Amino acid sequence: MEWLIKKAEELARKHDVDYYEIRLVRVTSTRLSMSNGQLRELSINSELGIGARAFNGAWGFSSANDRERFEKALETAMKIAKLSRGSGRIHLGEPVTDNVELKVRKSFKDIDLEEKLSLVKETDGFLRGDKIVNRTVYYGDSVVETLYFNSLGSEIRTVVPRVRFGFSVTAREEGEMQQFWKSFGGTAGWELVEGIDLHHWTSHVKEKALELLSARFPPSGEMDVIADPELTGVFIHEALGHAVEADSIKNGDSILAGKLGERIAVEGLTVVDDPTLKGKFGSYPYDDEGIKAKRVEIIRNGVLVSYLNDRETAEYFGLEPNGHARAESYAHQPLVRMGNTYVEPGDWTLEEMLEEVKRGLYMLGDKGGEVDTANGTFTFGAKLGYVIENGEIKEPVRDVALSGKILDVLANIRAIGNDLRIEFPGYCGKGQWVPVDDGGPHILTRALVGGLR
Amino acid sequence: MIEAVERLARILEQENLEWEVFYQFGRSGSFEIERETLERSQRKFYSGIGLRVGLKGRLGFSYITGLHPSDETLERLVRRTVKLAKVSEVPFRGFPSPKGVRTVGNLYDRRIDEIPFEEAHSMAIEYSELMRELKNGETLSGSFSLAVGTKGVVNSNGIELEERSTYMGVSAYAVVREPPGTGSYRQTYRSLQPQEELENAVRKAIDEARLSSRAKRLEAYSGELVLEPEAVSAIFDIFLANLYGDEIYHERSRFSKVGEEVGDFTLVDDSTLDGFPGSYSFDGEGVPGQRTVLVENGILRNFLLDHTYASFLAMESTGNAVRSFRSVPYIGTSNVVIETGDMELDDYEGIIVRKVFGEHTANPVSGDFSLTVELGYAVKNGELRPFKDNMLVGNVFELLKTLKPGKKAKRLSTFLSPRVLIEGRLV
Repeated sequence: MEWLIKKAEELARKHDVDYYEIRLVRVTSTRLSMSNGQLRELSINSELGIGARAFNGAWGFSSANDRERFEKALETAMKIAKLSRGSGRIHLGEPVTDNVELKVRKSFKDIDLEEKLSLVKETDGFLRGDKIVNRTVYYGDSVVETLYFNSLGSEIRTVVPRVRFGFSVTAREEGEMQQFWKSFGGTAGWELVEGIDLHHWTSHVKEKALELLSARFPPSGEMDVIADPELTGVFIHEALGHAVEADSIKNGDSILAGKLGERIAVEGLTVVDDPTLKGKFGSYPYDDEGIKAKRVEIIRNGVLVSYLNDRETAEYFGLEPNGHARAESYAHQPLVRMGNTYVEPGDWTLEEMLEEVKRGLYMLGDKGGEVDTANGTFTFGAKLGYVIENGEIKEPVRDVALSGKILDVLANIRAIGNDLRIEFPGYCGKGQWVPVDDGGPHILTRALVGGLR
Repeated sequence: MIEAVERLARILEQENLEWEVFYQFGRSGSFEIERETLERSQRKFYSGIGLRVGLKGRLGFSYITGLHPSDETLERLVRRTVKLAKVSEVPFRGFPSPKGVRTVGNLYDRRIDEIPFEEAHSMAIEYSELMRELKNGETLSGSFSLAVGTKGVVNSNGIELEERSTYMGVSAYAVVREPPGTGSYRQTYRSLQPQEELENAVRKAIDEARLSSRAKRLEAYSGELVLEPEAVSAIFDIFLANLYGDEIYHERSRFSKVGEEVGDFTLVDDSTLDGFPGSYSFDGEGVPGQRTVLVENGILRNFLLDHTYASFLAMESTGNAVRSFRSVPYIGTSNVVIETGDMELDDYEGIIVRKVFGEHTANPVSGDFSLTVELGYAVKNGELRPFKDNMLVGNVFELLKTLKPGKKAKRLSTFLSPRVLIEGRLV
């Protein structure tokens, strides 16, 4: 570490570079996966790499994973920055020295591989059942140790453990096939896995897959929709979160450009991104530009109050940096990203919400989504739905996707539930994958349902 | 073979093991342009060695990064991988044996390999200047990248293969602010492209953004419509998920055997196409690249297979083992080709869907999908009325039964398809 810091200083003088930052990252990970009782993957790996960036009005970046090239990566980043000579500016701020290890109760290192393997096998056993043709179980844990330093004199060491565990089943009957699944994850240790009620969740997953086999197609057209906390999470992530990433706004790629301080949603809607939540999958202590992670209110009572930003966009928009620059790995440049994004609870119960709906859909679970932030259009899938008629939950419907205009749907929220849950870990893609979590309470809004009926 | 792999092979030959080494090294230069300004330039280096060993019917895998390991590091890698094979319980089905590999042409362009970084950087600046020249109210961004990489496979059955290839990628993205519209263009190549290709990218993105800005949601429609290759690609992604050998074996596919009738078209996976970005002479296990007919005139003929799943299913590997040194092989496509047919669709009048998004929300096993239309147009008397924000809904297996391919194919990176005529529904 010391030699690298000295080397960087020396090279920066030689190449006359104003600002640089370096991440030296060691990742240790274990992965297991099993299908129908057959182990498909078991690996334990460790890797060390370096990512170096230098700024000279534009960014130069280089990365390497061969120790013999580490020094060359530093110099390459600086040379590129020198070559670039852009007119951009970044927020610098004060140097930070810190050492943060996210604490766990049971470290993965202390758990034998055999124990991880028996978790996967045991889960596979629980998933067996009539009409279940495929059972898939996966487990992955990692510890990422990052040494960050920059030309301001910041020196930050972080250690972030992360675990992910999940399973899925495919059910088949008379040519119909349906899947259901559940994932768990967090910046936690083995205790997260031990806390899972495997009996309950494996039964739940089987039950829902079978229920989907006999589910009908959903109706189509614009209608009232009640989203469960998981679907609220993906909705707020896709529909709002991506549109407030300041790099999109700067590039003219968001319909929320120029709307800071304006009312864009119903009063009562507050949306937060908080990477400092303890133990969540999208949590981190410092971002990949050495800025301390912060809780950011994006919407407060319907008014757009902040963008998520990085050093560059903070300076560009004249905002305080809020620590949302994240990179997939040492070999990627940080981009503006979310952490844990959620809707703050309101005071409605689900029963009260249902009473509001004459004809609509109750939709549960996240099957992924996508957003076009410039057009302001999003789409996402739900794992399962139920028809609502005159306030009552009726028959299940399957394979249902929603589409809508961000601003319409935010303005059409009629009720916000009192039952906040943030426990839906996943990976968000924006050219790079980063772990995120999202959630919220139940909400009632209107959207276009793309059904086959 | 590189020196470190030779040393590793010598260590492995002392052991009573079946083994396979997969190695890679390379570098890439890429450039991000935002608001017509070059903002991010990068040059990355990567290298690593992945080792699989088979021991008593079980498989172990591990990797190291870098190409300059000490003997001790290599010995540790072997010990670790053997240890994993002992505990892993992952079934081992042997490694492939050598077969004649025919070198696919034009996968390497010396000009990309040898271009000085400064020159690539100047090309990126020229690209940003080109955007400034061509823009007329739009906000433009995009990227430009060049890469060269080498992969090699060596195994205890005598396979010893190495291949070097180059890559160029171009993208352009245009945004019209009011009324909002976006347009994008993306293409990949194996050889260095002239400036005209960059200009083409920018013009295509701008044209599309202007159309998108004019587009309104269409009234609900059901009936005959044309999908452009972009939309065809999304539909076939959902279908192809059912043709992966591992999904077949683990019963997570609609299909369990070949011979089923799925429509009236021909679908091919072909890694031997000269100069195509998805081509290779051999796959991640050293199996020769090949042209695999997956669907022939509507009949399902084959699946996408690597050595392991081919063995489980008592079939032959189709050379579709994709991998990096960090992972064991997994099954992937190379170049996907929808063969042209005899429908004349160039001047088609009616509803045409160009781009859709959200295909990963679809259910590949039931085949049901609802995709958001990013851009489409209704053509009447040569006049074009764009639309967007509708959803294209349906079932992929039903849709494919109605599919009739057009005459002229278009390449979108590793996907080659004509326009196709289908029965579809927009809501």
